[in-house]
Amino acid sequence: MSTFWRNHRHWIAPTLFIMPGALLFGVVIILASAETIWVSFFDWDGVGEKQWVGLANYVQLLDDPQFHVSLKNNLIWLAMFMLAPPLGLALALLLNQPVRGMRVVKSLFFVPLVLASVTVGVVFTWVYDPTFGLLSLIFGYFGATAPALLSDEHLVTFAVVVAALWPQVAFCLVLFLAGLNNLSEDLIGAGRVDGARGWPMLIHVILPQLREVSFIALAVTVIGALRSFDMVAVMTSGGPFGSSTVLAYQMYEQSIFSYRFGYGAAIATVLFVIMAAFIAWYLRTLLKPEREGI
Amino acid sequence: MASNDIIKLVTRAPASRRQLLIGAGTALAGMTLGAPAIAQSKELTIISNIGNASQRDVLQRIASAYEKESGIKVAINNMDHEAHKTAIRSYLVVGAPDICFWFSGNRMKAFVKRELFDDISDLFERENYKSVLGPAAGAVTVDGKQYGLPLGGLLWGLFYRKDVFAEKGWTPPKTMEELLSLGEQAKSAGMIPVSMGTKEMWPAAGWFDHMNLRINGLDKHMALMDGKISYTDPAMLPVFDKWAELINAGLFSPNGTSFGWEQAAAALAQKKAAMMDLAGFIKYGFPEDQQDQIGFAPFPEIVQGMARYEDFALNSIHVPKNAKNKENARDFLAFFYKPDNLSAFLETESAVPPRNDCPPSKEPLVNAAVESLKTVEGSAQYYDRDTDPDMAQEGLKGFQEFMAKPDRRDQILERLETTRKRIFKA
Repeated sequence: MSTFWRNHRHWIAPTLFIMPGALLFGVVIILASAETIWVSFFDWDGVGEKQWVGLANYVQLLDDPQFHVSLKNNLIWLAMFMLAPPLGLALALLLNQPVRGMRVVKSLFFVPLVLASVTVGVVFTWVYDPTFGLLSLIFGYFGATAPALLSDEHLVTFAVVVAALWPQVAFCLVLFLAGLNNLSEDLIGAGRVDGARGWPMLIHVILPQLREVSFIALAVTVIGALRSFDMVAVMTSGGPFGSSTVLAYQMYEQSIFSYRFGYGAAIATVLFVIMAAFIAWYLRTLLKPEREGI
Repeated sequence: MASNDIIKLVTRAPASRRQLLIGAGTALAGMTLGAPAIAQSKELTIISNIGNASQRDVLQRIASAYEKESGIKVAINNMDHEAHKTAIRSYLVVGAPDICFWFSGNRMKAFVKRELFDDISDLFERENYKSVLGPAAGAVTVDGKQYGLPLGGLLWGLFYRKDVFAEKGWTPPKTMEELLSLGEQAKSAGMIPVSMGTKEMWPAAGWFDHMNLRINGLDKHMALMDGKISYTDPAMLPVFDKWAELINAGLFSPNGTSFGWEQAAAALAQKKAAMMDLAGFIKYGFPEDQQDQIGFAPFPEIVQGMARYEDFALNSIHVPKNAKNKENARDFLAFFYKPDNLSAFLETESAVPPRNDCPPSKEPLVNAAVESLKTVEGSAQYYDRDTDPDMAQEGLKGFQEFMAKPDRRDQILERLETTRKRIFKA
């Protein structure tokens, strides 16, 4: 027994430790994803008999104006969310000063991170309210009328993204603050000796050291933008008339309210493919330096 | 429930002999069923979707009274009203309670078709419900069998503040012209003529129902709901033309899509709006001491001589097919459905009782609805209760869009027609 253990423990122990996680991941993520893709080839109301329709759901998606709106909105989300890492970095640099009372200021910036995203959504819905909202008060102060952001089909997605950006920027801020704490004093000192300060210092000494953190911030932001759902559900329910719907919300709406699980699964599959492409790129870039031993 | 004799539902015909029979029937049922029920001492689970606290209290009170009488423990799980609409689909299949709340008519039929609701015709027979329910029984009947008990009926129409109308010397509009001129007066008084919040989309569909029922009548409306008439049918055009006229006249709340019905009702309560299209539950938007100011008026006439058809939506209560204690569930329903219990339960939401032997209501809004129903010649339930749920989702969205952008009429109708063809395979 003991020789068996000695000969094989190099793989038995890690396998045992990985098992629970792998099992859970397999059932909850892999199996569920596979089933979703399978369901997308059926016409199914979620309760009754499934009926095989092949690629009909996907063909219908191509003709569905709502699908195009959702896809476009997802792109808007993605583009605007790209603002979160630079904004987070800027704030982190600003807050990373040894000034008295900075801790209080920092914690104020953390607040949106503590709030549930549903809360953030509700708060911003009030801010945007055209009759009593903060925005209308501000506009009223200057004698103007605030636009009803959440009922304007062209502005609504931007308004929702701004609300979602608030916690996202705070999240990037936390990541960068942690990164700034781990900067190598030696490198900074060496840079200073060589006469670097201000911009050159930031670009050539600080930022390269934040490379990994930036990478994580970027990845989290992209995934956050693609899976956006809760804010849309809380603030607009995809409205007015579907103009702020994103893929994740359309999937939910089709499956739950219209009882079209097959169609919803097809939307989920499209979203999955988009995410998978991004994750593949991410893993490749992440693993490359590791493999090269850097 | 497209029944043409809704009057029977609400005229409380004195039926002493019948009532005696019912009383005897209930007593007999209680005697025969009471004994085994105590012996089993099971737990009965109910899932409720009731939103308002006072109605929950009444249900709890009835359940406690039943517990005392039968010795069966009753557990009530309260769910959020909107969340329940999605949860019911999964819990009916796995983990069904013994009793659940839902909506009669087409929405019930969707579950009956999938064999998820139990056939309770035997309870109807035993308690002789058909004789006290009249046409309301039709709302829970599929192919001659009953699958639930109808609860409170909600009559939809226009609501206004009596004090505001008295002060301004206004009267509720009876025709479209009066509605338009009242709208002008309201606007010059700085008020919104008709308060309408379409964030949750359905309020716009209620307005569509009214317009379509007033212009095309009940039969055509129901044919549209059943997918038998095209949305691009020429009969639809006058409905949307007239509606566009009202929208362009500035009759409805600006930016209506940014708020829900509660805020719209608050605008009426705060005298910022003149009227609102809703049902008796509008009173939740009013402070308690001002609820007696709420007045009810039927939707104005459009096509002269068209019989009066209204949306009259009936909620309902059911026994799921997968319930564990179906016998006890029936027993509880019989207890819950006693006139006194039922009317206490319905009083809180100002709903019209479906039984004609309930004691007369003390609630003025209920009595107004009962009175108004006497001249109703037939009723639909509500757009999203009458048509296929998938169709309803697209329809609600379309009506919401139409109210914001009436010039997109043709595109919207085209889209709805595509959806109709897909769903009804027409």
